Amino acid sequence: MEEEKKARVQVAVAARKREGYTPVVPDTQLGFVHNNVDCIGCRACEIACKDKNGLPPGPRFRRVMYVEGGRYPEVFAYKVNMSCNHCAEPACLPTCPTGAIFKRTKDGIVDIDSSLCIGCRRCEAACPFGAPQFDPISNTVMKCNLCVDEIDAGRKPYCVMGCMMRVLDVGPIDKIRDGSYATKAVGPGERVVRQVRNMADPELTNPSVAFVAHPKGRVEG
Amino acid sequence: MTSNHPKSDQPAKAIHPVAYFLGFFLVFGLVQLAFPAKKADQPVKAPAQAAATAESAQAARPAPTPVSPTAQLLLEAARAVPPTPPKPDPQPLVAKAPAPAPVPAPAAQPAPAPEAAKAPPAPAFPKAVLSASGEPDYGKALWNPLHFKPAIDTATNDQCLACHQEVLEPSVRAASPAGVKSADTLAWYQTLDTYIGAQDSFHRRHLSTPMAERLMNLQCNFCHQGSNPREEAPVPPTATNAGYTLRKQVNPETTCLACHGQFPWQNMEGLPGPWHEARESFESADAPNGCLSCHNPEGGFRTERHKVSYLKAEAIEQAATENADTCYGCHGGRAWYRISFPYPRHPWPGMPEDTPDWAKGRPTSSDPRYALPKN
Repeated sequence: MEEEKKARVQVAVAARKREGYTPVVPDTQLGFVHNNVDCIGCRACEIACKDKNGLPPGPRFRRVMYVEGGRYPEVFAYKVNMSCNHCAEPACLPTCPTGAIFKRTKDGIVDIDSSLCIGCRRCEAACPFGAPQFDPISNTVMKCNLCVDEIDAGRKPYCVMGCMMRVLDVGPIDKIRDGSYATKAVGPGERVVRQVRNMADPELTNPSVAFVAHPKGRVEG
Repeated sequence: MTSNHPKSDQPAKAIHPVAYFLGFFLVFGLVQLAFPAKKADQPVKAPAQAAATAESAQAARPAPTPVSPTAQLLLEAARAVPPTPPKPDPQPLVAKAPAPAPVPAPAAQPAPAPEAAKAPPAPAFPKAVLSASGEPDYGKALWNPLHFKPAIDTATNDQCLACHQEVLEPSVRAASPAGVKSADTLAWYQTLDTYIGAQDSFHRRHLSTPMAERLMNLQCNFCHQGSNPREEAPVPPTATNAGYTLRKQVNPETTCLACHGQFPWQNMEGLPGPWHEARESFESADAPNGCLSCHNPEGGFRTERHKVSYLKAEAIEQAATENADTCYGCHGGRAWYRISFPYPRHPWPGMPEDTPDWAKGRPTSSDPRYALPKN
C-alpha cells in the first residue's frame, strides 16, 4: 500500500515538472479608450471607481496623470487616464502562484479574486502599467476588474459612467482601434493609438487600451 | 420705592473693587500652596518608582497626538529599521543587510524616565528626510534627490535600505483570506528544478534567496532607475522624455524583460519548436542541459554571455552544467511578457557575416552601465 502511494506521488510530481503556460484567447476583448486632449482631469472617474470598490486611501485602480511641458509660448498640457488595461497577454496572470488572477474567455476581462491572494506582489512587479494595487492592511493585491458585474448586467463601468466629458469609454478594442465603434470619446477626424509618450512598450503585453493622443504625447507616426 | 428685602432699609455698605482682587489672589495663593503643580525639575525618582509613575501616567493618558497616515507609515518603518551600521565592505550588500534590531520604544511615546528623555533619539532615518522637528517627513523623502537621476545611478543598496529595509522582510501571507495555504500553492514556473523554497516576495526572490545570492548581483537601482514615483508632470515641465514611466516606478522593458521574456525558438535554426517541447531530443543523462549542446566553445554560438555587473557569470556557467533548468529559467521558463529581450549580439568565432533580420539593429556589446571592469 505504501509503495503504491509512493508511486502515485512520484507520478504526480513528475506530472508537475516543467509546466508551461498558454495565454487565454478571448472570444471578444473589451478595452478602454481615452481622449487625452479633451480630458479635463477632474478625476471623477477615479472617485467613482474608489466609491464603487470601497477603496481606502492609497490604492487607486484608475489614475489620471497630468502631463505638462514646453516653454512659453509653446506650452502644452494633457491627461493620460489609465487603469488595468486588461491586456491580451497580461503579465500579471502568469506570475500568480495561487490562480487568483484569471482572464475571462467571454470578454477578455482580467480579474483577480483577492480572497485567493497571498500577497507575494509578483503581479504588481510584473505589470508594466502599475495596475495591481497593494493593500497594506489586508496584505493582498487588488485591481480593476472592469466592473465585471456592471458589464454582465449590460452596463458600463463606473469610471465610464462618471466621466462628465465623455472622454472615457469601453468597448471591443478591435472595433475601437479600427474606428468602427461608435463612441463620443473619439471625435470626428480623430484616430486612436496604442501608446503615448512615457507609457511602457505595448508589445510587452498588448494592452487593451487606445488613446486619442495629444500631439506632444504621440510616439507613433 | 419699597423692597421686600429684610435689610433693604439699611444703608448699603459699598465694598471697594480692590478688595475683590486682593481676595481672589489670596485664595489662588492658598490653592497653590495646598496643591503644588508638578514640574520637570523635580527630584529624579528611583528607576522603579519612575517606571511605575510613567506606567500610571501612560495608562491615564488619552490617545497620542494624531499624525498623518504617511507620517505614521514612516514612524512604523522607523521602529523596524535599526540605525545604519558602519559599512565594512563596499561590496553589494544584500546578504549583509543589518539584522533586525529589537523594536525600540515608539517615537511618539515619551521616555519612561527623565534621564532617558534627555538622551538623543537614535537616528533611524537619514537627516535628509527628517523635518525641522526631527520627525520623518514623507514629502522630503519622496522628493529626495536620491530617487531621481543622476543620484540614483550611483545609489548603493545601503542607502536605499536605510528607509526601505522592509522589502527584505518576509511578508507573504501564510494563507490567503479564503484559506489557500502558501505552502500548498505552486505556479507553473515554480515546477522548474531551479525554483526552490517557500513562496516569497519578489524583492526577496531577486535579492536575498539562495539562488539570487549565488547567481545574481542585482542592486536596487538595476530596476529602480529614477522613474517618476508620481503620476503627474515632471517638475520643471519638459518637452523631452524625462525618463518617466507612467504610473510605474520601473521600466520592465529594460529590466524585467531581460529574464522574463519569451524563448525565441523561431530564431534558432535546428529547433523544431518551443524548448519545453524540444528539449528532450537535446538532453541525456550525460548532458543534462540541452542548451549547452550548441552553446559551447566547440559549438560556437554565443560564447560571450552573462558578463555584466548584475549577474555572476562564472556561477551561472557552473550551475548550467549541473541543472537543466538553469538556462531555461531565465530564457523562457518564467516569461511574463510576450516578447524577448534584445540581448546584445557579441561576435563569436565563426559568426556569419550576414546578420539575420531578427538581429538587425542589436548592439554588439553590453550596456556600458553594466560593463565589468577590464582586467
